Amino acid sequence: MIENNTPATCENNLLVVENLSVIIRNSREKLIRNLHFSISQGEIFGLVGESGSGKSLTATVILGMISKSLEVTSGSVKLGQSEITSLSERELRNIRGKEIAYLSQNYQSFFTPFIKVGQQFIEIIRCHTDISRKEAKKVAIHWLNKVHLPAERVFNSFPDELSGGQLQRASIASAIMFQPRLIIADEPTTALDVLTGERILDLLSELKEELNCSILLISHDLKHIINRTQTVGVMYGGQIVEIGKTSAVLSNPIHPYTNLLLQSRLRLNKHIQHELPTMLGEPGSMAEEGCPFSKRCPSVMKSCSNIVPMSSLGSHHSAACHLMNAEREERYVTR
Amino acid sequence: MNIQMPRINRIPFFFKNQNLLIQWGIIFFLIITLITLIGPFIVPNDPLTANMSERLAPPSSTYPLGTDHMGRCIFSRLIVGAQSTLGITALVVATVAIIGIPIGLVIGYIGGRLDTVFMRVADGILALPEFILAIAIAGFLGPSLTNLMISIVFVKWIAYTRVVRSIVITERNKDYVQAAKVGGSSSWKIIRRHMFPQIVSPVLVLATLDIGKVILTISSLSYLGLGAQPPAPEWGAMLNDGRPYFQSAPELMIYPGLAIFFVVLAFNLMGEGLRDKWDVKSR
Amino acid sequence: MLHVNSISKTYHSKAALSDISLTVQPGESIGVIGESGSGKSTLGKIILGLEKPEQGDVHFRGSNLHTLKGQALKASRRHLQIVFQDPAGSLNPKLLVWKSVVEPLENFPDVIPSFLKEVRHDRKKMAEVLFQKVGLSSELLERYPHQLSGGQKQRIAVARGISLEPDLLVCDEPTSSLDVSVQAQVLNLLKKLQRDLNLSLLFISHDIAAVQFMCERIVVLKEGLAVDSFLTEDLFSESRHPYTRLLVEMSMEQEYK
Repeated sequence: MIENNTPATCENNLLVVENLSVIIRNSREKLIRNLHFSISQGEIFGLVGESGSGKSLTATVILGMISKSLEVTSGSVKLGQSEITSLSERELRNIRGKEIAYLSQNYQSFFTPFIKVGQQFIEIIRCHTDISRKEAKKVAIHWLNKVHLPAERVFNSFPDELSGGQLQRASIASAIMFQPRLIIADEPTTALDVLTGERILDLLSELKEELNCSILLISHDLKHIINRTQTVGVMYGGQIVEIGKTSAVLSNPIHPYTNLLLQSRLRLNKHIQHELPTMLGEPGSMAEEGCPFSKRCPSVMKSCSNIVPMSSLGSHHSAACHLMNAEREERYVTR
Repeated sequence: MNIQMPRINRIPFFFKNQNLLIQWGIIFFLIITLITLIGPFIVPNDPLTANMSERLAPPSSTYPLGTDHMGRCIFSRLIVGAQSTLGITALVVATVAIIGIPIGLVIGYIGGRLDTVFMRVADGILALPEFILAIAIAGFLGPSLTNLMISIVFVKWIAYTRVVRSIVITERNKDYVQAAKVGGSSSWKIIRRHMFPQIVSPVLVLATLDIGKVILTISSLSYLGLGAQPPAPEWGAMLNDGRPYFQSAPELMIYPGLAIFFVVLAFNLMGEGLRDKWDVKSR
Repeated sequence: MLHVNSISKTYHSKAALSDISLTVQPGESIGVIGESGSGKSTLGKIILGLEKPEQGDVHFRGSNLHTLKGQALKASRRHLQIVFQDPAGSLNPKLLVWKSVVEPLENFPDVIPSFLKEVRHDRKKMAEVLFQKVGLSSELLERYPHQLSGGQKQRIAVARGISLEPDLLVCDEPTSSLDVSVQAQVLNLLKKLQRDLNLSLLFISHDIAAVQFMCERIVVLKEGLAVDSFLTEDLFSESRHPYTRLLVEMSMEQEYK
């Protein structure tokens, strides 16, 4: 077995997160433990996990917007050549918006309610570049067209005159205006209808091709992860328990959590299931030591209370589980 | 990650060193209550006995704060006066709550025409300045403590009704109320079981803050001669009595003024502390 | 058992529902699919008697639900219960959860559900049995809603929903705010209870996969109109309405194996 070989210094890696740990300052509770992943140029990287698994927090750390009550205890986040965890607030502000764009689930609150969308665009543009209002309007219209909105009409509308899908599109337009290298999309479709959500994701994939950027797609919806991503990281208890090419992870899930997550999901199927396989326990209940999933894991064994290193399975797939080393018979020792 | 917010109303808050405002408020409150309850048994002199030979005497061992223009012991009058001032206040606030809360619960929950009618009536009463109205009523019914109380209650219940009504209106559309309805609960049961617990803490805050205001209103109206009648000791009336001697003997007004000040302060501290704790929006 | 006869309802002069008809047989589970604004939640509220339709009527167990008043309305409510979408909002935050669960049983002292025969006299014991039925430990009885997870709260809402052994349980997006693994638990639970208690189920959802898993028959709503209605096994049939086919296509996953 080769240990810990997730290649983190590869040439075409856009974002590299290494050994990242985050704790709550007061209680010393670990929210993210030794996170390790990289996003390469031009891919959609999916981060999946239940509420409380630390996926949104990871996005916040990458954006350098971590709350004052939290503390990064170790590790680094590198975007290209710049080391985000050591930048000043001013430098960060330059990176946010220009290099990294952020799309959130709350597109409703993205725009200020009583100012026309166009005015808000002009303001954002003139914040980052030194051009006249007229020029800025041209830029805004250009990008509103890019996200397939009726640009002039949207430009002259108040936010509450637009539908949810239109608002999310407008917020995408404002996010990509400076042609960022990385778009972080944190549950971008959760608040939208199924059809609208799919169209938003279509748009994101299309823009990704056009701008040649990467996308970090954070979602709890496995369908989106399966359909859209090239690489996927499965998070549990602040840790990535399995990571790899989406096709590899799906066809051969190693970690019991990944496995159960995939099995317990609802999927539209010609063959109707009579009962869904389920996981034991409550989401968020995690073991203090060793594998965070060991409290709920059906194939838990003694060694699970030790720290589990990432082991790789082929060049594009690795997981942190003792099962990979264990004999097959031991695999079904239930507690 | 299961972050559980501590529920303030489950913790006996005054045992936790969390909020200085509340702590001071409660300490003051306890002192005031103690004085009010046992005060009349420990006063050095009879508060009503006039002794014209010793009028406007300076503080001495017999008269800890001196005497007033009639030669009565100021200290004794203050202590005994606390009972009528605070007793009336408590009675007024309690009456107001007893009238205002049920009305608010019912019109808020039922809504519709009943609600409209009640709120228009309330608007009508509120259109007149509170203080003037109290003066008018007290004047109409004749000056006495009872009438003073009636006039304050007449205006005050509206504030409670409004607060309760607006809480009930936001709560009554929530799923848990719908679920109770579907579960066959009567309107009366929903009001009692589901609405009432929601209003307890806001109303308690409102009441604590109001106590200060009511004390001031009673004292002001007594000062105008519409409340307690001489020679009964009452802080507002004492202020009024001291007015002609303001230049020669300012302590006649200063002592009752300070008493009012401290009581109002105590209740306001407590009220604001409670509001900060319970009202998430004001944080 | 339940007949919805061409009901219509408008909100702010916009049609929320127009000419919807629906029949639910005893023990049957029906799914209502629609996007937000399709009127699916309004339909649920009308069927529960919480709102009145402008046209049409709802017949439940032989009587017109919206002309019933007082005791008669209360009596038919006993057979008609609901599980809401947001488990946090459907439980009174200031009430111990076991009290929420037994509230319907207090209101109908004469109703003796088959599974509560032995303990009908004791409210706490009834709550215990109901908790057991939905797979919750009785340690959770004395908790307030904020001390429980979303999945636990939703189980409690289900326990309250079945407490009177109703004929029809309306579920309005019961799992859409839950995590994947918890969603599976709650859906399994609902399916099992439906079978065990011979409940009829009206399952309202935007998620076709959930409806396919839960229901025998599916109605598709679009902007207040029922555009399609079919047996679940015909979901992939060529004769489906284009809108249904679009929804299906959008809900499919890429195949990897």
